[in-house]
Amino acid sequence: MPKTTRRSVASRVAAPAALVGVVAVFGLVAFSSGPAQADTTTTTAPVTVSTAPGAQPGTVQAVPTAISAEPSASATAKAASPSNQDGIYYTDLPASFIKPGQALFAANCSSCHGSQANGKAGVAPNLQGLGAGTVDFWVSTGRMPLANTSAQATRKPPRFDRVQTLEIAAFVQSLTPGQGTQVPLVRTAGADLENGNTLFTLNCAACHTISGAGDALAEGAYAPSLHLATPTQVVEAIRSGPGNITDTEARDIAAYVTGVLQHPDNAGGVGLGGIGPVGEGFVGLLVGVGLLMLVCFWIGDRA
Amino acid sequence: MIDKSLNWIDDRLGVAKGGRTFLDKIFPDHWSFMLGEIALYSFVVLLGTGVFLTLYFVPSAHEIVYHGSYGPLRGQKVSEAYASTVGLSFDVRSGLLMRQAHHWAADIFLGAIAVHMARVFFTGAFRKPRELNWVVGVVMLILGVVNGFLGYSLPDDLVSGTGIRIAYSIMESIPLVGSYLAFFLFGGNYPGTGVIIPRFFVLHVLIVPAIIVGLLAAHLGLLVKQKHTQFPGKGKTEDNVVGSPMFPTFMAKTTGFLFMTAAVIFGLGGFAQINPIWQFGQYEPYQISYAVQPDWYMGWLDGAARIMPSWEWVGYGHTIPFEIFLPAVIFPGLIFNILLAWPLIEWFKTKDSNYHNLLDRPRDRPKRTAAGVAMLTLLFGVFFASSTDVMANFFQLPLMDVLWFFRFFVPLAPIVAYFIAFKICHEMRDAENIGKRKRALIVSRTAGGEYVTTDSAPRPGDSHEELEAIPVPTFIDTTDPELATAAGVRRVIR
Amino acid sequence: MSDNKSNPLPPAKLDDPHLQPATRHPERMQNLAILAMVVGMLGFIAFIWVYWIDASNEWEAATLTVGMLGLGVGTIAWGKYLMPQGPFVEERHEFHSSAPEREAFNAAITGRGGLEVKRRGLLLGVFAVGGGIMTLALLVPGVRSLGPKPAKSEDNEGPTEDSLFTTNWKKGAKLVTVGGRQVMVDDLEVGGVLTVFPKGFEGSSPDQVILIRLAQLGPNDPPYPIAPPGKTSWGVQGYVAYSKLCTHLGCPVGLYQERTQQLVCPCHQSIFDVNAGAIPQFGPAPRPLPQLPITVDATGQMRANGSFDQAVGPGFWERP
Repeated sequence: MPKTTRRSVASRVAAPAALVGVVAVFGLVAFSSGPAQADTTTTTAPVTVSTAPGAQPGTVQAVPTAISAEPSASATAKAASPSNQDGIYYTDLPASFIKPGQALFAANCSSCHGSQANGKAGVAPNLQGLGAGTVDFWVSTGRMPLANTSAQATRKPPRFDRVQTLEIAAFVQSLTPGQGTQVPLVRTAGADLENGNTLFTLNCAACHTISGAGDALAEGAYAPSLHLATPTQVVEAIRSGPGNITDTEARDIAAYVTGVLQHPDNAGGVGLGGIGPVGEGFVGLLVGVGLLMLVCFWIGDRA
Repeated sequence: MIDKSLNWIDDRLGVAKGGRTFLDKIFPDHWSFMLGEIALYSFVVLLGTGVFLTLYFVPSAHEIVYHGSYGPLRGQKVSEAYASTVGLSFDVRSGLLMRQAHHWAADIFLGAIAVHMARVFFTGAFRKPRELNWVVGVVMLILGVVNGFLGYSLPDDLVSGTGIRIAYSIMESIPLVGSYLAFFLFGGNYPGTGVIIPRFFVLHVLIVPAIIVGLLAAHLGLLVKQKHTQFPGKGKTEDNVVGSPMFPTFMAKTTGFLFMTAAVIFGLGGFAQINPIWQFGQYEPYQISYAVQPDWYMGWLDGAARIMPSWEWVGYGHTIPFEIFLPAVIFPGLIFNILLAWPLIEWFKTKDSNYHNLLDRPRDRPKRTAAGVAMLTLLFGVFFASSTDVMANFFQLPLMDVLWFFRFFVPLAPIVAYFIAFKICHEMRDAENIGKRKRALIVSRTAGGEYVTTDSAPRPGDSHEELEAIPVPTFIDTTDPELATAAGVRRVIR
Repeated sequence: MSDNKSNPLPPAKLDDPHLQPATRHPERMQNLAILAMVVGMLGFIAFIWVYWIDASNEWEAATLTVGMLGLGVGTIAWGKYLMPQGPFVEERHEFHSSAPEREAFNAAITGRGGLEVKRRGLLLGVFAVGGGIMTLALLVPGVRSLGPKPAKSEDNEGPTEDSLFTTNWKKGAKLVTVGGRQVMVDDLEVGGVLTVFPKGFEGSSPDQVILIRLAQLGPNDPPYPIAPPGKTSWGVQGYVAYSKLCTHLGCPVGLYQERTQQLVCPCHQSIFDVNAGAIPQFGPAPRPLPQLPITVDATGQMRANGSFDQAVGPGFWERP
């Protein structure tokens, strides 16, 4: 006569299956690609430039949008040399962008930043002097427009398409012509990835983590995840801050971030969020030990 | 044929008598008695995969230029240790699987020890005569934690190298002898003369595993000699063990469990990435990443270090950095000493010198259970405190708030947990029919219109059908041909 | 119950309930076990093939896992459902030896041993002491030969490899990046940071310094005020330099938040206020980061203007 109790198969499997289900849901939620969301407009082709070989430095060939080919006349500390040899070409936005930009700005931004973008104390900063590149970074990553002014802005699906974003940037730039960062066109082909790796590890990993996953900083700030950044946005972000990084170095970092960091060689399998031992510990204990405890339930008695 | 072989062996080794006793040994069947086997078999996998890895790993901090197949690293100067680990991951066939399986097995090994230890603690299995076995177990836990740290520090990558720097500083912080110990072990001021990798290697591959194997033999030997404990139940007394026999039943189940453990470990090893050191880069002492936590079994120390206020004592020409010394040396020392001495502590409280072969239900010893829950709460608290930055990022909370939360939670939560657990134990003891399946009530109406309830009939399987336990039969009478088929499985009658 | 060793029980019957398979369908379970083990076998064969053709480690793991699972499920099913479950009982014998045996054992030790102690106590004592000293003596090379003694104080001018008190920063040392490039006074903008080393010691751990530009000041401008315990005169043209070694546990303090002018250590989140001599505002770090005096020479090259005034890095016993 059998010694063990004969419960129905369903009742025996229910609890372990529920446990497995909970762990699976937890794993899917926790180790999906993090809080950043898909960024739809930054992948449109018109902005990236690949100049035909032999093109004159400073001219932009065969680009299906109305980006002006005139290089910036006034030299500022940030304006790169007009050649493409450093991999970054800083563009002037066409004058025709300013008027539609002003309209967009008035409708979407002026309520916080003021109609002349000089900010409101305690609400929104002064945008004058920041340059088109900085504005492009904030708007193209969806950080702006921002409803909640107290929290740090995080990446969201951008509100405007590429041309609208550039129009807004052009308007803000027009308020202080010649000042601030310009919109960079980044050519990642030919970048030195090893240099980018070294620079990233030394300069960026301390905040953004070595895998670019991002992390929390002091005073409520966050170093964001880099998993959805475009080369343009990487260079704009670098140039928005104080930079002792040359254009070549910035290009190398952008190429490394978009070419290597965003496509990590997860040769070992599922990446578990790229946050290192915290995620691994969860999986090891919940999945590893957990599954084996389920086997214990099967083999042993539950008297 | 079998008889002849066994006789041949007995002629030379004389094992028949002892062998039969061994084969007749009884193992109780409760599922929680198998948790130690998770640790045992993951240790076996560790040894196997570890041997594989030692055939390829180069324990040297000497710098070379990487020429392997991982593109982004090619041409860079890295240590041989790092290069050989990347080589294992990309250029040795099944190397990455073995590396990851080894690392997962280590995580699971220590997790299983923790769960097994909790079972032993909460059921009081460490009492006389098993105090020695408990001590052996705790020492194995300590050695396991140490060996895990040594092991994941071997590849000399950015994340684990940071851990080595921290280990140096912790050693330094010990009063009087700290700087000497640190200088001796590393060969000087940090990072030393590069000897730390070869020294970690010898410790990790030879010295510590040898001690663990010896202790493991003692642990299992004591278990066989003293026999396993069991829960109280029908036919189970302090003077017997009831369960299934060693041969063939337990051997089959435990061998199967070895394979299952290996299956889970290799499954994780192939599908879940762990420690992708090629993404971290070679360790340089002036570089750092964020979100650098140690592996989970060291996380409790990291958490303790994070929440510790900056109390450093300076005076009379000397410094005692309590902000390191307390959380990283005193705190683990205290915890491990409490663990080691627990049988003694309990003896002081209960003055109980009786043999105990029957286990307690946790609710039967509320103070012990509550103390254990408090300890676990403390350890979980500091463990979670090590991921403050990741938590702050994930839940979008300010970093400082998360830190302050843990500064209060870690000392206060165990006290609260003690009282809650104590109360729950008493409630459970006082409650009737707890843990038993509830009987349905049948509501029926009498002719007069009253509602009456009666218990339903017991369902099949509600009561555990127990047979009277008998000693393991030495001889089985296989001569009756009718019985052979009636038993349900074909048997060969000789 | 009878003692198995001396009085074997009568042979058990085949239909003894204790020997029966613990399932209502033993044939089904046997087939399940066989099937599982065959799947396991195939898994292992597949593993060999997958290895042979050098497929990805996911395939290696999948086949190996299937193999182990198959054998595991089969063996467990066999053991749990088909083998005799019992319940069987085994008697525990009195664990300790009988009283006469104990007496004899104890007497052997205390008797003969005690005799020797009475007769030749001195010999025993000397042996014990000798053994203790021998143990100590054998441990000495094991520990002392491992590495050098640390320097006792700053007075020891030895290399930084042998002393926790000194670094390679001396007056006039050129500030260079890890790649060896000389740092010039207009290299950084306001808010920029750079990891620098003394020339010739690039990459050296105790020498790592973080250079921060707090203000764009010219050579004739008044210096940038640093609140104590920092030193205003130790900065130059808006630059300040601090040891990058965290005073908590030695991690490189690489995280600079420009907006709040704080250095954050990524390891345990100590936060240092750069404007106030890098004093720790939060977290476990006990002391400010030691400041390095810097200056600019005539050609615009940044140089150290002296060495640190204290030991860098975490605290230790000999630190005054």
